[in-house]
Amino acid sequence: MQNSHRAEPEMKMFSVSHKTAFVVDHCPYMAESSRQQVECDVLTKSRGQGMIPLAPVSKSLWTCAVECSMEYCRILYDVYPLKKLINYIVSDSEFHILNSWRQEDQSTHELMSALAAVGPPNPQEDPECCSVLHGLVAAVESLCKITEYQHEARTILMDTADRVANRGRIICLTNAKSDTHVRMLEDCVQETILEQNKMAAGSDRLMPIQQCELVLVHIFPQGEDTLVSDRPKKEVSSLLTSEVHSVRAGRHLATKLNILVQQHFDLASTTITNIPMKEEQHANTSANYDVELLHHRDAHLEFFKSGDLHMAGSTSRDSGLKETVTLKWCTPRTNSVELHYCTGAYRISPTDVNSRPSSCLTNFLLNGRSVLLEQPRKSGSKVISHMLSSHGGEIFLHVLNSTRSTLEDPPSISEGCGGRVTDYRITDFGEFMRENRLTPVPESPDAEASGKPPAERAKAQLERYTRYWPMIISQTTIFNMQAVVPLANLIVKESLSEEDLLTCQKTVYNLVDMERKNDPLPISTVGSRGKGPKRDEQYRIMWNELETLVKTHVAGSERHQRVLDCIIACRSKPPEEDERKKRGRKREDKEDKAEKNINKDSEDKSWQESERLKGVVERGKEEQGESEVIKDSPDSPEPLNKKPRLEEIQLPEKAKGPVSLLTMWTNRITVANSKKHQEFAGRISSVNNKAELYQHLKDENGMDLHENGKATR
Amino acid sequence: MPTVVLMDASLSMTRPVSQEQCTEELQRKHLAVAGLTMLFEHMANNYKLEFTSLVAFSSLWELLVPFTRDYSTLQEALSNLEDYDKTCLESALHGISNVVQQEWGHACPTQVVLVTDGSLGIGKGSLRHSLQTLKGRPEDKKFPLPFPFPAKLFIMCIANADELQMTDTMHNLEQLLQLNGGDGQIFTMEGQLCLKSVQSMFGRLIDAAYSPFPAVLRCGNLASDVQVFPRPEPVFLDEEIDPMPRHILTDLEIVGFIEIGDISSPPVMSRHLVLPIAVNKEVDDVGPGTTEEPEEETSANQQAGKVPNFCVLLHGSLKVEGMVALVQLGPEWYGMLYSQADSKKKSNLMMSLFEPGPEPLPWLGKVSQLGPISDAAENPYGEDDSKSPFPLQPKIKRSYAQNVTVWIKASGLQTDVQKILRNARKLPEKTQTFYKELNRLRKAALAFGFWELLKGVAELLERECTLLPDTAHPDAAFQLSHAAKQLKLASTGDSQYAAFDQNINPMHTDFSGGGAGM
Repeated sequence: MQNSHRAEPEMKMFSVSHKTAFVVDHCPYMAESSRQQVECDVLTKSRGQGMIPLAPVSKSLWTCAVECSMEYCRILYDVYPLKKLINYIVSDSEFHILNSWRQEDQSTHELMSALAAVGPPNPQEDPECCSVLHGLVAAVESLCKITEYQHEARTILMDTADRVANRGRIICLTNAKSDTHVRMLEDCVQETILEQNKMAAGSDRLMPIQQCELVLVHIFPQGEDTLVSDRPKKEVSSLLTSEVHSVRAGRHLATKLNILVQQHFDLASTTITNIPMKEEQHANTSANYDVELLHHRDAHLEFFKSGDLHMAGSTSRDSGLKETVTLKWCTPRTNSVELHYCTGAYRISPTDVNSRPSSCLTNFLLNGRSVLLEQPRKSGSKVISHMLSSHGGEIFLHVLNSTRSTLEDPPSISEGCGGRVTDYRITDFGEFMRENRLTPVPESPDAEASGKPPAERAKAQLERYTRYWPMIISQTTIFNMQAVVPLANLIVKESLSEEDLLTCQKTVYNLVDMERKNDPLPISTVGSRGKGPKRDEQYRIMWNELETLVKTHVAGSERHQRVLDCIIACRSKPPEEDERKKRGRKREDKEDKAEKNINKDSEDKSWQESERLKGVVERGKEEQGESEVIKDSPDSPEPLNKKPRLEEIQLPEKAKGPVSLLTMWTNRITVANSKKHQEFAGRISSVNNKAELYQHLKDENGMDLHENGKATR
Repeated sequence: MPTVVLMDASLSMTRPVSQEQCTEELQRKHLAVAGLTMLFEHMANNYKLEFTSLVAFSSLWELLVPFTRDYSTLQEALSNLEDYDKTCLESALHGISNVVQQEWGHACPTQVVLVTDGSLGIGKGSLRHSLQTLKGRPEDKKFPLPFPFPAKLFIMCIANADELQMTDTMHNLEQLLQLNGGDGQIFTMEGQLCLKSVQSMFGRLIDAAYSPFPAVLRCGNLASDVQVFPRPEPVFLDEEIDPMPRHILTDLEIVGFIEIGDISSPPVMSRHLVLPIAVNKEVDDVGPGTTEEPEEETSANQQAGKVPNFCVLLHGSLKVEGMVALVQLGPEWYGMLYSQADSKKKSNLMMSLFEPGPEPLPWLGKVSQLGPISDAAENPYGEDDSKSPFPLQPKIKRSYAQNVTVWIKASGLQTDVQKILRNARKLPEKTQTFYKELNRLRKAALAFGFWELLKGVAELLERECTLLPDTAHPDAAFQLSHAAKQLKLASTGDSQYAAFDQNINPMHTDFSGGGAGM
């Protein structure tokens, strides 16, 4: 595929195929019968009994021209729904332009509706007044009109807007009188181009035509000899080339336009063979069918390059004019969760869209199933080279890579950097990815006003979600705790609701409660000797980490800040904790160092930087504080008062195990009530250090800090 | 991107180089070997996933080493290189064209490194002769350039530019490059022909084509230094509108995540391994390396293996979840990251590049319009992951999805008429389908200006009416004659009855319970 992007003409967006003007002759002689008869009363014969069957109907030249041109458009719109535009013009005593270059005017429905309004040619009209020339002149004028794509490209390029080319093609379906008549039409087009280009030079809305391809198709009834000879493409001038096709109406015309649409838009044909299909009459048998599809010819690039085109089952069909590559239906089918290495995907259009085999195949695919296609090879080896698959109601022919990969046998990711680490938070990151999945956001007219485009918002969300995101389990405590989840999920949000804030606060109270209960924490013992840090030390690490997480978001909003305030208030340390901290510090310092080393190769993480700075500041403060208190010996036992304190606090309904929402709420109420018992706090403060524990609960519950401070210190 | 080294083994390569300082005789071939040795050593250390093959040529050509990553084999073959007769480049180019196609097919971009002294033969078989006879050759004797696969041609001349310009050699080589679509470069030696200048020339080749592509992969604040292999090639879009090559950014930023089923085997321009690398920032402090280097390297590798790396985390989760990460490669250019497993149960982080443009995959829509799910009022994936916002539906259905009418083949028309008649015989049960089919035919006949058909079908319906058995429901006759009448009216082209968007509606009869009759 990369190859196809080099120096090939289709690299130009504004090639002649950007604009196609159809000019269909609507003069009285087009009302003439094509003399190709269609029997539409076929079943009557079997009904028999001397019933007179309906006389066969026959299409007029006009009907033939219209239905074949519609088929051309159908294939084009199937394969190129965008950027390949058609302007349909009908010509009799004047020209009728049936649609515009605008993208929303590009559909067969639109054109059919306009054609119905035009109706068949009127045989009574004066032939002297009628000519296809009106249409040809209108087509040239139309080619000078700028399309929305040309306009957009010119607007973007500004100074180099002249790079945007204006080329186009005119397909004229007519019944010409003679070769001389044809020459007259060519000359007329040539003159009109020169004339229009002069006008276009001085206009913003018009562009001079740089290249025009005129394709004249002379249609004549069956059983008549043609008065016009075929002529291959020739240069009329540097601006205009012209070719003439003289074709019988009916089947021949259809074949001709099918070939032309392939030539004009670089299409190629693939025949899917061996399609198993249930028979209508015999439900339990299935016959094999073939279906021909058209698509961009790059889907056959590999065959062209290798000269394998004929070997790969290419056959000529339809009187030897058309080439198709045969690919075999392949079972088993593929599933959608497999990611195939696909080098190209091209929209398809069935050649015979409403035949039963075609519609069976397309419906099968539209229902979301994919089919692998096998390339028949001389050697008999099975090579799967393509896949048919639909995406949102559009069917694509995918080209699968079937050659050796240059990336084979790469070193496994486990052999490289970070490959030996075994405790990545794979599941958590999976959850993170699910939360950061993308979704299409409809383009709104006020998009500019509403700020960042959606993709930038997605990146901004990733930034917020990763401000503090330890990669391995042993690097984190809080993310291994179910109890932290509600807060961790909410704090990364761009804005918090009052309810969110409440949930965060509840999470914090719950942690306080866990600490009070002395619940074990899932703290890592990696990097520390023995059993790891002691319980209260564990909580200190946990609180620090939680603070780190929340601090990275405080700039987000005032409510984010209030979450941090809540944490700081709730974790305010009893004096003995400060003492113990000193003991723990050495160990912690080590850990910090280890952590820093780990983070070295991803240095530029803002949270780490800020955290480090904060760490330094805090440590400074701590040291000051510590110097003022009398320190315990590092070997002194744990304070004994811990347990009874817990018992005092513990409420009867609080059983061990996971905390229910009810329990959390009850706790909160209980705590709220407890602050009414002033004398309770005072009594406790008189006994050793017990007062400290209650203080921070009170702080959190909105008590005046100063009052508490007085009461306790 | 595999490499073919095409080494000139003709006799002229044995010409001695005049050496001032050195007494030992040095041939051009020795310089070529020294240069290639340098290249191979570089690749073995810094570009070791590159497949390289070695072809020697004179009047004949020989594949000395098939594509391999074993650079010692290449080195060995190089040192055992023998001297042959005259230079005949055309057949050698044919040779490597075949070698590459057999191994990699026709889509794989390849680098050809031609090493020659610049005397390209005389008479038949010489490059000059080949170029003079380019035109008018039969199909089976075409010049091998351009290659059927995308190829970069690097011509390493063991000669300096002055020497080549004295004859028409330089001109011929430039022509050769042009034949290859201009993709490649001619390198000549600067100053005196000596080891130093050959090394400097190969150094320039390494910089141009074999330097690793370092990048940083980012997902918000998580990041990893990576090497992207093979180096992503610049891409050209529309040559008229956008003639400048596009390069991918060295800062690869993840936009978000999409499930494999949703991204659905997208077409890609190229695939690249994303290998995490340890960027040792303290390397300057350590000072110049000593003999202990290999040991240090091993321990450094071991160290790097133990340091958590974002790539490994990302890879693991992508694999487990069956997702891809959408990554931005440049302005309006995207790619995807995913876990790619090879047959040996090894897996790796792979990056595929989409075609540049705002909307590389129609079923995703514009990538810039993809936003976080939190922006949506309601989770588009559903609370239980049962839904997906993808694929996007096109505004207008394709012909095969909308029951279009095509009467190019007589059978198409016959089928449509028969459908109407079949339903006509089952009136009034099939009233809805009967009118649906009738209106479909009516619309197409009006658009195609096929009024004769409308009259014909009207007659058929009238006849059906007369053929109704006595047991038939009375409504059937009313509907048939109503439909026939409407078709006939439409066939006059009278705008009151022949409007395209108008439908023939079933007649309300006493029998159908619809109220007043005709």
